[in-house]
Amino acid sequence: MVRLAVRTLSELCVTVGSLIVLLVVYLLFWTGVRADNTMSDEVAKLQNQWARTPLTATAPATPAPQTQQSTPSPSATPTPPVYRDGQPFAIMYIPRFGADWHKPVIEGTSTSDLQRGVAHYTGTARLGAVGNFAVAGHRRTYGNPFEAFAELRPGDKVVLTDGVTWYTYVIDDQPYLTLPNDIGVINPIPAPLDTSATPYTSPGRYLTLTTCDPPWGHSHRLIAWGHLESTQPVEQGMPRALLS
Amino acid sequence: MYGWIWRRLPGNAWAKAAISLVLVLAVVFILFQWVFPWAEPLLPFNDVTVNGGGSAG
Repeated sequence: MVRLAVRTLSELCVTVGSLIVLLVVYLLFWTGVRADNTMSDEVAKLQNQWARTPLTATAPATPAPQTQQSTPSPSATPTPPVYRDGQPFAIMYIPRFGADWHKPVIEGTSTSDLQRGVAHYTGTARLGAVGNFAVAGHRRTYGNPFEAFAELRPGDKVVLTDGVTWYTYVIDDQPYLTLPNDIGVINPIPAPLDTSATPYTSPGRYLTLTTCDPPWGHSHRLIAWGHLESTQPVEQGMPRALLS
Repeated sequence: MYGWIWRRLPGNAWAKAAISLVLVLAVVFILFQWVFPWAEPLLPFNDVTVNGGGSAG
């Protein structure tokens, strides 16, 4: 009887232990493999889509300077494409996260959206528009897109393209640590709970990045804000921030 | 439990070992394909947004 109890208990321990090891393998390794595949597919899908769409309708008549300081005017598209829920609509580049770091931006912040790229908060501003273009991403698991989030520094560039225009945002502050219910951070003019952290006082073209903190936890959120520095049509090639 | 399964498997030791291996792989496949994807959103590091509640909260 004792023998049976000991044997059952030890088998149970072995089973639970194996399950935990498998779960860790799944989280650390398998979600990354799957996410990298999915994200490359989404990027390829976007690039194919853009390759099929002629740019001529949106090209500005006059050759714009390399960077249009202070008055960023996103190409005046007659009918801006709708961001469809669950669909990628842009590619994000953050040189701070690595020279070849780029992720698709998916509309919507559901669990499945976040597994396929970085996720644009529905209802926040469009790329380059006045307001707050807010994006969330995984810090860990699913390819760890925002793994190096805490290393963002003022002056870091966040470059996005929607296939028509390059948008270069600049991070203005060190990442701000806050609570999950601090939803003011994605307001058109960000309004964090900690008013001393308020980054901007007047309306503008802003960017908000959010992720979790601590990396494996969910007790806090890490927020980074930036503003639109320049835009340029894709015909002019990549912005300088990506070439250096 | 494992002893019970082992005794129920047909054939000699080699056949039993082969079937066990297939069973283990099947279990791992089921876990990776269905069980872990279901369990994973319940874990904390999915919460990267500031919406408050919900799976993406």
